[in-house]
Parts: sequence; structure tokens; C-alpha cells
Amino acid sequence: MERVKWLDSMVMPTVAALALVVGYPIVSTIVLSTQDYNLVATEAARFVGADNYRKLVADPIFWQSLRNTALYTFGSVAISAALGLVFALLMERFVGRRGRVARLLLLTPWAVPFVVIAFLFRYMYLQNGGAINALLLSMGAIAAPISWLNVSTLAMPAVMVANIWAMTPFFFLLLGAALAGIPNEVIESARVDRASAFSMIFRIKLPLLRNALLIGGLLMIIANFNDFAKIWAMTQGGPGYSTTTLVVYVYRQAFENFSFGYASAVGVCWLLLLLAFAIAYLRALRLT
Amino acid sequence: MGMSNHVVRPSLLVTTVAFLIAFATDGRAADAKVTITFANWAVAEGTTKPAIDQVIADFEKAHPDIEIKSEAISFSEIARQLALRVRAGNPPDVAQLAGNDTFVIAATGKLEPLNAYVGGDLKSRLKPDAVAGLQYQGKLIALPWTLAPAGFWFNKTLMGKAGLDPEKPPRTIDELMSAMAAIKKAQPDVIPLGLDTTNRPFALQSNWPWMATFGAMPIDGAKDNANTPEMKRYLAWMRELAQKRYIDPGRRIGEFRPLAAQDKVAFTWDQVLLQGVIQSVNKMSDDDFYRHWGVTTQPTGPSGKPYSFEGGHQLVMFTDSKQKKAAWTFIEYLAASADAINKYTLGPGASLPSLSATPGSDIARKLDTPIYHSFTTAIIPTLAAPPFGPAFASASSAIMAGVQQAVTGSESIDDVAKSIQQQLDRR
Repeated sequence: MERVKWLDSMVMPTVAALALVVGYPIVSTIVLSTQDYNLVATEAARFVGADNYRKLVADPIFWQSLRNTALYTFGSVAISAALGLVFALLMERFVGRRGRVARLLLLTPWAVPFVVIAFLFRYMYLQNGGAINALLLSMGAIAAPISWLNVSTLAMPAVMVANIWAMTPFFFLLLGAALAGIPNEVIESARVDRASAFSMIFRIKLPLLRNALLIGGLLMIIANFNDFAKIWAMTQGGPGYSTTTLVVYVYRQAFENFSFGYASAVGVCWLLLLLAFAIAYLRALRLT
Repeated sequence: MGMSNHVVRPSLLVTTVAFLIAFATDGRAADAKVTITFANWAVAEGTTKPAIDQVIADFEKAHPDIEIKSEAISFSEIARQLALRVRAGNPPDVAQLAGNDTFVIAATGKLEPLNAYVGGDLKSRLKPDAVAGLQYQGKLIALPWTLAPAGFWFNKTLMGKAGLDPEKPPRTIDELMSAMAAIKKAQPDVIPLGLDTTNRPFALQSNWPWMATFGAMPIDGAKDNANTPEMKRYLAWMRELAQKRYIDPGRRIGEFRPLAAQDKVAFTWDQVLLQGVIQSVNKMSDDDFYRHWGVTTQPTGPSGKPYSFEGGHQLVMFTDSKQKKAAWTFIEYLAASADAINKYTLGPGASLPSLSATPGSDIARKLDTPIYHSFTTAIIPTLAAPPFGPAFASASSAIMAGVQQAVTGSESIDDVAKSIQQQLDRR
């Protein structure tokens, strides 16, 4: 069997561009992670070997930000996927003009820029004057306004709600298309066999949606791992460190403390985690 | 057949000569006019943009050989962007800075010392306190532009509605707690106290006087003292404020200002410029404003002393500037000219000039208001400067995160104080 050359003159321009745009920053970051480098200090950067990594292992805020990242990412993706699936199944039979209007409304959050979503929810969550508190107070569901973004236990769920609202349309679109791609013969056969609605969904449709869910889920996990805008605009990683994710922690270390060396070490760990997900994504692509 | 040589060669010659003349002329014009880049947030904010644009236009008219290229950078971004630009080798000529940011940029070693530029006349007019706080390693690294100390503002109308004497603002923390309880009872929708508890260096600067009045000093040069009884008392007080809903955690100080203009905030810890912002929102006249609002020193805590912080703005010049003479001319104009003081500093900035006003002058007359008197005679003497510098910036994240944990979390105050100390030790 002839082995196809993967590195030839046609590929070289792409490799060169990738080396410059991707390779150089990665190598620079790894090099910086072994240095004690403060952006505003007059002293030159100093090689410290694995000191930044030792500091990272002993840093409770790093571990908390890692836990927050896992909660934010996996929690948001799982709930968005579930909601997207529910909407896609419901909208299957909703055809005609009303169906089109409903689809448009469901897809609208996807068109709203992330920063706008963040500020929208931030003002809705305000303890004094926020729409959510006003609604809950008028319904009698709460006795006093709640500070959604300023209570440690509520801040992360509140931020996740905004993220889920923004991400659900993606899964709705993806799974709606995947549902439309299920062969009619399969559905008809199931109907002939008098499959119940429950069986139709869980035994026929869901298994056929597995690939779409896997690819979409992995893609969104990678995207949410890097989500900075929403968290920064809503809580800046607070209160305390309750919504500080890895990307917010790197930002604070690099651009508030100006500790580029330590921030790079955290960045390298972040890169390795994302690489693991990227490899999983590629493997899943090959399987499908 | 193409154009004959009789046409082409003369055309080429004429074109070449024309280009040479044009370049020569441009070069001469460029030599005659210099361009100064001015990084600032005054032009980025709606309240101050018209005034600073006018001042710059007036300066350019008075100095036709200098052009100002204003670069809008938001207040919260300017230190980050300037630090990166300094490292990249392309800082602006002049920049507006404030608070700890000035000392963070000074630490890069790229600020031009201004001692030699400040002449005798200007030196004699500058307020000594304003200049004393801007020394770094023995050199003057910034010229004070506006002075904006923080004071304890009280809404007389809301106090009256709560049954409190509008002319007797609280003088101690205990009196403040009683007053806020009365206000909360009478008007549940009003925020009793506007306090910035966000996680940023400015918030630490703003809360520093409150920590100081409790006797707490979480960082003191090289020493970190977050795990002390005084700091725990301060944190416990902050938690009590949040539990009783006397503060609205998570809001930046700027977000309280429009609410204050709508009588939704009873007391607020804010700078002298609050008057300008409130009046720009609700178009209140000066007399109405003085009937409605007053300002005084901070209610005192266990230390028995009130404190304040200086939140004014400074002007810096970078050592890499190739137009230092022109840059200094611009800096001096902004800080010391009657035009800039009248139109910007005392205008929408509603701050205090860094110069002592000449008695009887127009500026002295504008400074003759109850609010400015209060700041000048009572509040400015209570100024306490935090230990500014890169260490302050890195500490602010740990300290304000701890304050937020105290305000919104359920861990014990002892654990919060310990956690702040551990974060400070790890820096």
C-alpha cells in the first residue's frame, strides 16, 4: 500500500503559518513558565526551572479555579445539550409558520454577542432593581431580593444560567438537523411495531443522535474551557474566587499581578488539559 | 504604436520633480509641527469627553506647532495597556494615570522624572501635599493634574425622610449603623451605603480608609498583616453591612453615581467629582445640590480617626518620548492653565486643581462652595496614602477577594483573614 507523504511542498506554507501563529506562542509560553518574569519589574527575567510549577501545585486558588472550570464547563454543556435535545424533539412536529417563528425565537440567543449576554444577565441579577428579583418578589417566591452574583454559593449557578441560555440554541440546531437526518424507514418501522413515545425517543432516536451529541459536546467543552468574556463581565471571578476559572486566574496573574512567568505555568497546564480534549475530539471524529 | 519619447520623457521628468517637491514640502511641514500622543480615559467617558476635547482644541490653537493625538483607553485598562506598550517599546508621549497605576508604571523605569521640568513659578503654585505623594525613588514621576479626595457624602433629603437630622451626618461607625437602620426601615428600596467592593486595585484604595479606621493595615511595605484582630473586626463589620443589606455588593463606585442622582443611595463613599456626575445626570442647579447633598469626613471606627484617599489624576511623560519639550508644554497646560482648570478640572471633572488658587481670581471664586470648602478644610487633612506599587496591585486581588468572601460567604471571619494572609504570603 502506498504511503501518502504528509509533509511536502504543498503543505509547507500551512505548516510555516501554523508554526508562526501557534507554535511560536506555545514554545514562548513554555519557556516563560520556567522563568521568574514580572512585566513591570526592571530586573530581567530569571530562569527558575520548575519553581512556578511547584508553586502551582501548592496554590489552593489554582485547584479551586480548576474545579470551577470543570463545574462551569461540564455543567453548562450537559444542561445545554439536554435542553437542546428537548427543544429539538418538541419542534420536530411543529411545522408551518408557527414552527418557523418558534425556531427563530429559540435560535435568537445564538445571535447575541457574548458580552451583551453577560451584561444583560448582570443587570437582570442586580439585588436592587434587577428584573429577576422584581419578578420573584411579585410572584411571592422570595421574601427579600437576592444578591445572585454576590453570594458565593449562587454566583456560579447564576453565571451558568447565562451560559446555558447562550449555548442551548447550538445544540437545538445541531440535534434538530441530526433528527431530520434519521431515515424515515427507521421511524416507520418503529411505528409499525407500535413503539411507545418513550421507546421511540430512548431506543430509536437517541442512539442515532449519539454521534452528533458526542461531537457537539466535545466542541462546546473546548469552547467553554476558554470562556472568559461572560465570567469577567458578570463577576470578574468573584465573589472571592467562587467563579474564578482557569482562564480568569491566568488573566489576573498576567495582567493584574503582571506575573507572566507564573501565569505561563498555569497556561501550560491549561494547554495540556485542552490537548487531551482535542485528542478525544479527533478520535471521536474518526469513529463517526 | 505607443506614446512617443517626446511625450513620455518630459512627463516622467515633470512627475519626478513634482514628487520631490511634494516630499520636501511635507518634510518641512512635518518638521514645523510635532504630534504628541496622549493616552487617557477622559476622552473615553461621556461626561468628560466634550470638555477635554475643547481643552485640547484650545491648546492646539494656542500652540499651532503641536498636534495632540488623543488615545482613548478606559480607566480599568490603562495600566495594563501602558505596561504592555512600555515593554513593546511604543508607549505614548503623555498619559493620564491615577492611584496605584502611576506607581506600577513608574516601576518599569520608563517614566521621565519631572523635577527638572517644574520651574520656579509652577513649583511655588503647586500644593505641596499633591506633589509629595508622587515621588518614586526620590524623583517626581508625575505631575498632579486633578485632586479628587474621597469624602462621606450624605443625602439630606433621604435622611430627613428617615427622621434623621439632615445637618448632622453620622460621625462614628456606630452612628452610621443606627442611621442606616433608620433609612432601611423608612425606605427599603434605598441603598443605605454606596461602597465599592469589586476585586480591583481601585477598590482596595477606596476601602483602605475604612480598614485604617478599624486600625487594620493588611499590607505595609514589605510586611503583610492581614491576619490581625483589627482586620478581622473590619471584615466582620463588612459582613454585617451585607447581612443587613446596607450595601449592594459587586457594584463599582461609578454604578452608584446614577443611583445617587435618583435619590436611591443615602450615603456614599465617593470622590469630590460626585457633584459633577450627579448634576450631569439630573441637571440639578448648584444651590439645589447643596440643599440636597453634603459631604464630610469619614465616620470614625475603633481607631478614633477618620481617613480618606486621594483619587485624583496625574500626568506622566515617558522617557521614550521624542518630543519631551512639547509633551511638557502640554502637561503644564493641562495642569496649570486657567483654561484647562476652568473648562475641565472645575467643569465636568468637578475636581480640585493641584495648584493653590490666586485669591480673588476667577478660579478662587469657583472654589468658594460648601462642597469644596469641606474637602479643602476637613477632608484633605485626613488623607492616608496606601503603600502603592506593583506589590499593592498583586495584593489587592488577594485582599479584595477576601473582603468579598467576608461579605458574601459563610466561612468564619478567622478563616477568611487567614486565607488572605496565606495568599499574600504566596506572592
